[in-house]
Amino acid sequence: MYAPLKKTHNGPLLQVRGLKSYFFTRAGLVKAVDDVSFEIAAGETLALVGESGCGKSITSLSILRLIPEPGRVVDGEILFDGRDLLRMPPTEIRRVRGNKISMIFQEPMTSLNPVLKIGEQIAEVLRLHRGMSNGEALAQAAELLMRVGIPAAENRLRDFPHQLSGGQRQRVMIAMALACDPQLLIADEPTTALDVTIQAQIMELLANLARDRQMATLLISHDLGVVAGNADRVAVMYAGKIVEYAAVKQLFSSPAHPYTRGLLTCIPRLGNKDPLQTIQGQPEGKSKSADGCAFLERCPNSCNSGGSKMPQLREINPGHFVRCWRA
Amino acid sequence: MTALLEICDLAKSYRMPGKSGTKAAQLKAVAGVSLQVAPGETLGLVGESGCGKSTLGKLILGLTPADRGEVLYRGTDLARLSARQLRPYRRQLQMIFQDPFSSLNPRMTVGETLIEPLIIHRLCATSERQKRVADLLNQVGLESAAANRYPHEFSGGQRQRISIARALAVEPELIVADEPVSALDLSVQAQILNLLREIQVEHKLSYLFIAHDLAVVEHVSDRVAVMYLGKIVENATADDLYRRPQHPYTEALLAAIPQPDPNLARRPVPLKGDVPSPLNPPSGCSFHPRCPYASNLCQQQEPALLNLGDKRQAACHHSDKICTNRS
Repeated sequence: MYAPLKKTHNGPLLQVRGLKSYFFTRAGLVKAVDDVSFEIAAGETLALVGESGCGKSITSLSILRLIPEPGRVVDGEILFDGRDLLRMPPTEIRRVRGNKISMIFQEPMTSLNPVLKIGEQIAEVLRLHRGMSNGEALAQAAELLMRVGIPAAENRLRDFPHQLSGGQRQRVMIAMALACDPQLLIADEPTTALDVTIQAQIMELLANLARDRQMATLLISHDLGVVAGNADRVAVMYAGKIVEYAAVKQLFSSPAHPYTRGLLTCIPRLGNKDPLQTIQGQPEGKSKSADGCAFLERCPNSCNSGGSKMPQLREINPGHFVRCWRA
Repeated sequence: MTALLEICDLAKSYRMPGKSGTKAAQLKAVAGVSLQVAPGETLGLVGESGCGKSTLGKLILGLTPADRGEVLYRGTDLARLSARQLRPYRRQLQMIFQDPFSSLNPRMTVGETLIEPLIIHRLCATSERQKRVADLLNQVGLESAAANRYPHEFSGGQRQRISIARALAVEPELIVADEPVSALDLSVQAQILNLLREIQVEHKLSYLFIAHDLAVVEHVSDRVAVMYLGKIVENATADDLYRRPQHPYTEALLAAIPQPDPNLARRPVPLKGDVPSPLNPPSGCSFHPRCPYASNLCQQQEPALLNLGDKRQAACHHSDKICTNRS
């Protein structure tokens, strides 16, 4: 089943360029995603890192055009295999969702349908996108469950989500996401709700699948340990913008943005009991001056050179981009 | 060492209503736990979800009655006291909860929230109350003006500061902190961990720190107890436990921590399978189906929590085989 994916287009599988997703709320305009660009090649894992409200989940939802009201993608393009997802007619984007691009969410209890047997839920994807008969789809669902490590898969097809443990539900989500052999998997905090021993199993499973099938992965996470162990490249987001973008080793060994540096020093590390370094302030990241650097008020560097202006993303080393006046 | 808090063979089970035609099942949430907390000490309690660590915290505070066992606070068994007799002790033992959104009353101002325990315990003259509230807020790094605002006006980290101020209001000796930072963003988590340590030194507090994040637990704890399916499987000083685990479950938990360093090779997943259902725990040692060291003995006989010298305990038939040369 795992034939190598056919490439119909040269260049990265996914290219996000100048993406802007704004929310038009009664309280005013919220620029949740503000001019975000990145790319992911086949077989590669890009991690999108940041704290709550930084726009990482809205970025991923924008790719599948799933942003809830009153949000809207206002600008940019999202090229998937050479075609712009933002300008596809609705019937076509429906053929991409769950088929060529699929998504797994943080909370498997709320993202599975509680009143449908899990076999039905996986089979539905296959019937819809692959045109399989009910019997074929159920047989295939059992095979998928086996592949993601659920024991006695055929018997579990008739289980409802509440009969499974958290780790097993996440495996069901993954089985469903992989049903159609997607070229791109968007994993939004896939292990945050799970215990560490189960988290290790799930990340291992995702890594194996990505390697075997040249599947590209957009991994959204706030856990720098998970990111370090699983990503090829990392984009750090703050207040709707990417503030640093680099290969994973580069980012962890020589972080250049004060926010990235702050995140790396504020996590407790094994064997070190010194008081933790902190980033002052709260992570809402609403800049007082509309066009200044959003991190200005929390930044440990005193920045004369232009705190009142937003710095551009600059390449300071090959492949290492930073949005800071002082980097 | 005279213990501030000593719990002996504490147990709690819940009756789970059986499905139609089957008998009601007993869920042993806490199955005979003994622990000690010394004055000024932090005891970390780790374990995966459903292992009974939160129930244990509630049993200690008398928020839920125990089936059997003793909770000795400075030698007095709290589990035997009536509600009225218990009241003075409630002042000595306070709790901080995981979710700062649901643990503060949304209809009370922060000032009212902080004054309520002062009134109940008759701790502060009416004329002094405003000043006391301002003091408390300043201690946790908030401005006095916060007293007139409502919880929804604050971010998660600020709300957790308010929860800490509420716990401090009655000048307790022991605080049970149940996952106090796991709902917070990384940069805020570090601020709260540092705050907890500062007030510990200042007020000579003891903590029972319940968490699933092993790096956080190591950072704050003097001693660490590891729980699995309602029982303590290992209890040792933080140094001993993290450097030389004597129980295979502890060893596996440590191996599963994602390290924020991309240069560390991904370690093989050490544990297979999910945490078993506490409704139907395995025979013998409840860890044996997942344990790489398991033998026939483990299937048949439950290992006792044995003293292994050096103030450490482990419940394993094969403690001597657990790797002894971790860095």
